[in-house]
Amino acid sequence: MSDVTTTPHRNGTAPARAYRRRAAGPPVDVFENADELLIVADVPGVRDDGIDLRVENDTLTLAARRPEPTAAEPPALVREYDEVDFVATFRIPAGVDAAGITAETRSGTLVVHLPKAAAAKSRKIVVRPRSGD
Amino acid sequence: MLTGWRDFDDTLRTLDLMQRRFDRAFEGWEQPRPRARHATRAVWPLTNVFETKEAFLVKAEVPGLAEGDVSVTVEEDSLVVRGERKIEVPEGYRVHLRERAPVAFTRKLPLPGRIDADAVSATLSEGVLTVTLPKAKEALPRQISVKTSKESQS
Repeated sequence: MSDVTTTPHRNGTAPARAYRRRAAGPPVDVFENADELLIVADVPGVRDDGIDLRVENDTLTLAARRPEPTAAEPPALVREYDEVDFVATFRIPAGVDAAGITAETRSGTLVVHLPKAAAAKSRKIVVRPRSGD
Repeated sequence: MLTGWRDFDDTLRTLDLMQRRFDRAFEGWEQPRPRARHATRAVWPLTNVFETKEAFLVKAEVPGLAEGDVSVTVEEDSLVVRGERKIEVPEGYRVHLRERAPVAFTRKLPLPGRIDADAVSATLSEGVLTVTLPKAKEALPRQISVKTSKESQS
């Protein structure tokens, strides 16, 4: 995450991301079945285009950013929560097919599917008595 | 040689034991750990309230909730948000980590001002509930036209 800090105004062009929010780790569920690992993260307020999911070596990095405010926010009378961005990193265990990772959003949650590589799926080993015993 | 290593192991074991005994002795002295942002809260969802010229906006983060899972009502002088967030383990999966808490909730928020209860609207997008409470007509700023009274003209 080299771009977490505020980018200074440069070359007279608006920086790609001048507006930064505080970032927090989202609450996460991790499930597994025979075919995949499933990560579910709460990322409220983040649109699909604000989600940046990267795989590098054995690390999955999630950055979920809220849209930049279009106008000055009206004054708050009560503020119980901060509108934070979300960042999280996961170590991908051996046996995951990194190229097959897919993700979708569902009403403020991000669902990431990490399919298991064929070789890592559990197989039933048939046990037979050795002939001659 | 081997005995030497065994002695070394034994020393470590003794140290470990002492550490455990100390830990036990000081149990309860520990400061409570700071709670993570997503620690289970007694109050859910958290809400922010904003004021614009024409309305009050109440925003709440309710990730995972669909339209049918939440109800918004205006009751006397309160805005009431009710609902349930069900977090179920998908069929056939086993759990490695569960941080997303299921919650059934009722939040009663005092109305921030005089509002037009019939015009209240609510939207749910990307897991954020936004309730718009338009201000009552009487509460809106009114322009009073100032006229010169005939008597004062001379």
